Amino acid sequence: MRLSRREFVTWVAASGITLATSRLRAAQAARFDETQILPGAAAPRPVHGATGRIDAVAKVTGAKLYASDFRAADMDGWPPTTAHALLLRGTDAAHVFAGLDLSALDASAQPTKIVTAEDLARAGTRVPPFYAGDLLCPVGNTPLYLGQPVALLLFETFDAYDRARVRLRQTSPVKLGVETGPLAQPNYAALRFTRVAGDAPGAPDVYSPLMEGWISPGFFEAGGRPIWQPLPTSEGGQYKKGATYGDEIRAFIAANDPGTLVLDRSFRTQSVDPMFLEPECGLGWYDPKAKALQLVLGVQSPLEASEALGHLLGEATPTLRPERIETHFAHLGGGFGGRDHTPFPLYVALAAMFLPGRPIRLAHDRFQQFQGGIKRHAFEMRSQVAIDRASGRMRAFAADHILDGGGLANYSASVAAVSATSAIGIYDIPKVDVTTLAEHSRGVTAGSMRGYGVLQTTAALETLVDEAAEAIGLDPITLRRRNLLKAGGLTMTGNPWTVSVRTPEILDKLEGHALWRERALAQKTASADTLVGTGVAVCAKDYGTGADCALGRVEVDPKGRIRIFCDAVEMGNGIGTAVANRVAQFLGRMADEVSVARIDAFDALGLVTSGDPYVITQEEQDTASRNPRWVPAVSSATSASIGAHVGTQAAAEAARIILRFGMWPAALALWGIGQEDPRHFLWDEAFWQDGMLILSGLPPLAQEEVAAKAHAMGALTGAMAHAFSRWAWAQAAFPLDGLDWAADIDALAVRRGEGPFKVLDRSFIAFPPASYNRIGTSFTSSCGTLVRVEIDKASGAVRVMQAYSVLECGQALSPQVVLGQAQGGFAMGVGYALLENLPPFEDGPGNGRWNLGDYVVARASDLPIHALEVEVLPPVAPNEPPKGMAEVVMIPVVPAILNAIHDATGHRFQALPVTPDDVRRVL
Amino acid sequence: MPAISLTINGRAHGPIEVREDLTMNDFLREVLGMTGTKFGCGAAQCLSCAVIVDHADGTSSTMPTCIVAATEFDKLNIRTVEGHAKNGELTPLQKSFIAHFAFQCGYCTPGFLNEGQVLLERLEKSPIPRAELEGTIAEALDGHLCRCSGYVKYHQAVRDVVLADAHRFLT
Repeated sequence: MRLSRREFVTWVAASGITLATSRLRAAQAARFDETQILPGAAAPRPVHGATGRIDAVAKVTGAKLYASDFRAADMDGWPPTTAHALLLRGTDAAHVFAGLDLSALDASAQPTKIVTAEDLARAGTRVPPFYAGDLLCPVGNTPLYLGQPVALLLFETFDAYDRARVRLRQTSPVKLGVETGPLAQPNYAALRFTRVAGDAPGAPDVYSPLMEGWISPGFFEAGGRPIWQPLPTSEGGQYKKGATYGDEIRAFIAANDPGTLVLDRSFRTQSVDPMFLEPECGLGWYDPKAKALQLVLGVQSPLEASEALGHLLGEATPTLRPERIETHFAHLGGGFGGRDHTPFPLYVALAAMFLPGRPIRLAHDRFQQFQGGIKRHAFEMRSQVAIDRASGRMRAFAADHILDGGGLANYSASVAAVSATSAIGIYDIPKVDVTTLAEHSRGVTAGSMRGYGVLQTTAALETLVDEAAEAIGLDPITLRRRNLLKAGGLTMTGNPWTVSVRTPEILDKLEGHALWRERALAQKTASADTLVGTGVAVCAKDYGTGADCALGRVEVDPKGRIRIFCDAVEMGNGIGTAVANRVAQFLGRMADEVSVARIDAFDALGLVTSGDPYVITQEEQDTASRNPRWVPAVSSATSASIGAHVGTQAAAEAARIILRFGMWPAALALWGIGQEDPRHFLWDEAFWQDGMLILSGLPPLAQEEVAAKAHAMGALTGAMAHAFSRWAWAQAAFPLDGLDWAADIDALAVRRGEGPFKVLDRSFIAFPPASYNRIGTSFTSSCGTLVRVEIDKASGAVRVMQAYSVLECGQALSPQVVLGQAQGGFAMGVGYALLENLPPFEDGPGNGRWNLGDYVVARASDLPIHALEVEVLPPVAPNEPPKGMAEVVMIPVVPAILNAIHDATGHRFQALPVTPDDVRRVL
Repeated sequence: MPAISLTINGRAHGPIEVREDLTMNDFLREVLGMTGTKFGCGAAQCLSCAVIVDHADGTSSTMPTCIVAATEFDKLNIRTVEGHAKNGELTPLQKSFIAHFAFQCGYCTPGFLNEGQVLLERLEKSPIPRAELEGTIAEALDGHLCRCSGYVKYHQAVRDVVLADAHRFLT
């Protein structure tokens, strides 16, 4: 088995289809000048703290922004009428699919065309390897999972579609054949992470994943479960060696030394839905004359979607094979990982190809979104910890995770790896052994939903730590403090965190907060019909995936106006605003235009890639990198957590280059400073203030004046860059104006004046070593949370009355966006702990009967909206880069609530969500 | 098929023939192309689809459009997110939403905007004591679901419009 953190497969244009993307027309905010949707026009001066989001006016005026807003009539050059598609899904995964019975539809609701698996087979479409399953279940097969699509119905009119949609929800058209029971499929991943630290502080590890690589067992039981014993495999002793150390750790825990506290606990977390408010949808039009397929989509991973579409149709029969696929990417009405590598765009494309010449729309309603959308993995966990009673130091930890990945392959292997490598949270534990198994099941597909892996394991760990503190007789914060992983210490994969480590400050903040100090008083003063409790939890959340890319292009015009293109997607995370803020630091003005999801705007870089960045060997990387256009990966999916750190990187470096080689030479000319003047080199001491470039002792220069001069001189006025991170940025140098300019980017093109972009060859390149793929994470942000709950004795209802979260995220590029993300993360954490639940299998969302109402997410009345305090620690230094955030705030909320419930009731719940009935039963 | 006539954002529409079971949400989005009003759940649970109905007695209320037939809106006078700003000038509530960074993905914003606007207009006619303000806002907005924001900034945004013009909305 080749071990990969993310099974990222690239299909670049193997099909020969030209893949292109472009931007939708500007938001149609009638009566508003386009510049009014941008912060620059309203408040051009402040570099930080500009008023409003970049997309703010569009969003409060109902402008067309989201994929669900567009119809054929909104698209330039498209036929004006929109047809509609309905994706039919099975609700049974234990019987053979015997075909469709559409007799429940009267003549006014009959589809124009029915697309089945047989049609796809005849057409020669291919399922992108990432998804590894039939897009439509063939007649005669048992569906691979509950909710697997069985057919696409295509309707000429909205009314016919709408009637059929409602009718077929009441009367399933799916005919069932013989009972087969659920299909057994191979599991997605089985991994083991073991580390044994050296005997003395600072001594090298005895064994670690970083030293020896990630390991997977070689043998499996008939049912597919791995055999974890250290058996030798045909590939040699790699697994046996690690597993032997792992078993020794487990034997040490089992020895149950009297001086050691051993806790052995199980914990279960549920499946939930991302519940982004805009159900997935898309619009497509295949123009058979031009042999061009155009699509409007809303996904978190534009490049992946484009390439998957190329693969889908690349070897189709001539009438169903476009020569060009052009995809327009829209803003998202929420994502939370549920639109990262979603197969939905494939069905939009199929609908368009099978109704050529007619624009057609495929849109989930909420029932369908619950039935078919990507979910969070449910986890079963067993955790064991051994703690020295005298010192309170954790000596060993072991855990076993089983994840339900559902029926269609997605990111289960990645979620399994992340959960395992985050299993010891913020702690320094010298002996760790964690097994993790991502299983295939007949459930709805689970993927990389917000905070994946860490959310589940932190809930188990932080409740375990709380219990341990009580058992040993230590304050929960004291026990945590004694075991913190310090800066330079090694994580369970054997590498250190390479960013700031601020958990000590976070614990200090929590300990000093009135909510914590006055917790006993709060209990004493509770009313007779309520129980009150206070809980604490802390987490560290990785950000980044180990192969993260950013594309950024920045242009300054002669009037100083700034235009930015980036490949990141706007899904509410504020990426456009963050990029604009970061560029403004270098160019003195908020952008006048930020265009997101624009993987098409970087042709001048001429990027090429090859292989899988997660499994590439050092030799392969060294060979490939001799090509100055080669990068390990071109573009990666957007997630809120990496937005600030990754999504802004390329644009920020491009802006820095424009400052250094465009604006600064222009300023020198305006000041009359020649090459012999020592101030000639002080470009990084100059700064922008209120739209003026300032260098001590010289007259301030207006940004517009500097930009005009740069253009007049033919200096550098535009730069586009690519950046790649494998737990460290790739670094390269480029020849610029007689200098070798080194930066954390690996590709660069520049323009001068109004000239075209010209790519520059790297004079030096250092990609992060391939061995970094063995790292679990080296980038983390931390957050601690205190919650006070009040429990109604009669009903068992738990209410979060007050909360305090303290987080660190480096430099907050847009503090208001950070705060909003933190508040939203808190709400999602409350929902996960107390409200949200999707049962597995037949009673779960695959049955097509789930909607809001049955599925409860947190509303304002479930939250302490006037008693939620969020404190964001200032960066450790003015130049500390932005770190990831958002999901890190959600994660500790869950165990903090559980610990508070224990404080109130004396009972430890070890399954989520905790419902009023659960609580009432233990009172 | 029945035909409906109604006024949307001050502009008369119709008569337009519609299916009896066509929802108002689909009438707005599919027939008129007015997609500012969102579709979220189809079960009146998230209220991203809510519009303002201006009643003959001078009062206004919000109504979900995803489960209500278009025919139910015959002869009604409604407002949607597209109709709040006038002559390119945003309303105080729209400005406050922006200033507070109240929304993120923005998909629920039309519903919150409509509900908040109805509340402001109600308070203008029937001011309340300052002490009741937070509770009144919470009660008014609580049916609306937001997955991104945690609601805090929406509530603050509405409150600050009231407090900025307290004599208008508070006793």
